[in-house]
Amino acid sequence: MRRPATLRRMLAVARAEWRHNYRDARSLAIVIALPVFLLLIYGYGINLDLRDLPFAVQDLDRTEQSADFVNRLVRSGYFTLARAIQDTREIDSVIEVGAVRFVLVIPHGFGGDLASGRPAQVQVVLDGGDSATASVALGYLQALVGDHSIHLARRWAMRHGLPASAVEPALRVVPRVLYNPELRSVNFIVPGLIAVILTLLAALLTSGCIVREREGGSFEALAASPIAPIEIVLGKLLPYAVISFVDIVLCMVVGRLLFGVAPMGDKALLLGLSLIYLIASLSIGLLVSSLARSHQVATLIAFLATVLPSLLVSGFAFPVRSMPVALQAIAQIIPATHFLIIIRAIYLKGAGVSAFAPRVAALAAMALALVLLTVRTFRKRLE
Amino acid sequence: MADAPRAAVVVEDLTKRFRDFVAVDHLSFTIAEGEVFGFLGPNGAGKSTTIRMLCGLLLPSEGRAQVAGLDVARETEALRRQIGYMPQLFSLYPDLTSVENLEFYAGLYGLRQPSLGTRIEELVVRLDLEAVRGQLTGTLSTGWRQRVALACAIIHEPPILFLDEPTSGVDPAVRQQFWNLIGDLAAEGTTVLVTTHLMEEAERCARLAMIDRGRLIALDTPQALRDGLQGLLYEIDADPLLPALEALASAPFVMDAALSGATVRVRVAEMGISREAAIRDALAAAQVNVVDIRAGEPSLEDVFISLVGDREEASAR
Repeated sequence: MRRPATLRRMLAVARAEWRHNYRDARSLAIVIALPVFLLLIYGYGINLDLRDLPFAVQDLDRTEQSADFVNRLVRSGYFTLARAIQDTREIDSVIEVGAVRFVLVIPHGFGGDLASGRPAQVQVVLDGGDSATASVALGYLQALVGDHSIHLARRWAMRHGLPASAVEPALRVVPRVLYNPELRSVNFIVPGLIAVILTLLAALLTSGCIVREREGGSFEALAASPIAPIEIVLGKLLPYAVISFVDIVLCMVVGRLLFGVAPMGDKALLLGLSLIYLIASLSIGLLVSSLARSHQVATLIAFLATVLPSLLVSGFAFPVRSMPVALQAIAQIIPATHFLIIIRAIYLKGAGVSAFAPRVAALAAMALALVLLTVRTFRKRLE
Repeated sequence: MADAPRAAVVVEDLTKRFRDFVAVDHLSFTIAEGEVFGFLGPNGAGKSTTIRMLCGLLLPSEGRAQVAGLDVARETEALRRQIGYMPQLFSLYPDLTSVENLEFYAGLYGLRQPSLGTRIEELVVRLDLEAVRGQLTGTLSTGWRQRVALACAIIHEPPILFLDEPTSGVDPAVRQQFWNLIGDLAAEGTTVLVTTHLMEEAERCARLAMIDRGRLIALDTPQALRDGLQGLLYEIDADPLLPALEALASAPFVMDAALSGATVRVRVAEMGISREAAIRDALAAAQVNVVDIRAGEPSLEDVFISLVGDREEASAR
């Protein structure tokens, strides 16, 4: 096959870069171990679901009704009864040592009140030190108490020959959650995590690859050759696009195997759009690499320019809409913001291109602009 | 002058400043096609900076230069197709093998198969690289590295070749091989500009430019440079050595005095008489024991020292 000279020059750069990577054990480790490692840590670490939260009970009532109520909490699966407390003074200590996250106090007369149709009260002592868990736990508890009340009221009505509707609350919210019906937080976290991991990898991979040559002597011989900046830039991007493309597949497989999270939508579409995102992210690293004076500075700047915004501003951790206006504007010029919307839409909603076409356009425009900017600012001189 | 060789490199008033420092100061010279042109001068004289300007890697602050008829500042990319460049620093990829580095440069210059493979094998034979063809260049000794780097610089058979200290850190046998190859390339029509600070290498150049602190101080064939040296040369073995050098350097009839190994070389004004007695008197006055005095043959080093000495006297005045 007769390839044009420009392609041969580009491929020469790509091939050298590829060889450089597979000879370097450290970059192989980054490419394969890092995504899996991060997915494991964050996938298991960032779990917003409530499961088996330990609690203690001080049952001062000791009736059939109080046992029935505690049973309901345990059966829900959200809470585990870790211990029963006899003495009120123990409440503080079990929370303080972290043995339980809350203590349920059932007062004298709880069963009697319920049996005679009077409202009864329970007390919950929560560990507010971890306010996020405390508020989630409180929400679940209130919902369970509500359910239990309705259940008791129905029984009371039946026993007194009244229709069940007589005791139903006037208004009830029946939520129907779309796209993530079980509200499992990993379904939401894993796709976002894949986006962040790809951003991190892209920055790590390309931020060194031009400045490293300048620090060594190879840049001088490269720059004195007739290769054009665009051939260098595309030649450097190509192997890293392949490597990070393998990584997104790796992330998707790990997400599926370990967390049971798979895209509802078209996987091929997702992979295709990821490639656009990768080109944008890799170009940022390359741009930094061609402008920076040293490898360390390049890595640091690339990290600040890609990973931090993708973690904080893109909507990965905090919804963009609840940010100050200035940050929202910044979010719009970060590729990760758009990719997050796309990857979550495909993962959770099974959406097609029509649902996020403007995001795809924005991403493609950014990728193109970044490649062109890198080419334009690339200097084949030493000063 | 119909059959005068065409100029491969034309340099006029070429100047490079880095802030206040003048690295290259109004250099002018012309290199003919097929000529081996030497750049001789100490480290920091501006040799590398000049070559980098000729490769389009640095922009001249002043003056002009043409390589293969192309302006170095304005026609840089076209110029780069005509040149091969071997930088002074180790420029190979250390984690690629010798042949992989050759493949990289072959690709950079757009060579294609099958001529690419043939050309690489040709260079492996010509530079004797068979033993290290599959070895990572980062693990090679300096001599091998320089050979691979030279092969990379000439892989595309450039009409003009810039070699910046190609033999630094190389043992004499390999150095000999390098210069034989440079001679062969020139015989085939390649123009070679080579820098060195070794006098014995400079002898092998067709013409020599002596550079000191950015300025051209002499430009001629090695023979003509030596012939132009004024005065008589003496080599003196003395003990102790340094007081001998000091005593001779301050003697009024001595033009230059310098150490060459364990010998003091002095150049004295020619007055039609032997200066041996005067040298002995001067050394005796300094209480130095003279072991031997003999007449010396002028070397390029003597030429360089005399020219630098003249410049220093001129600037001191």
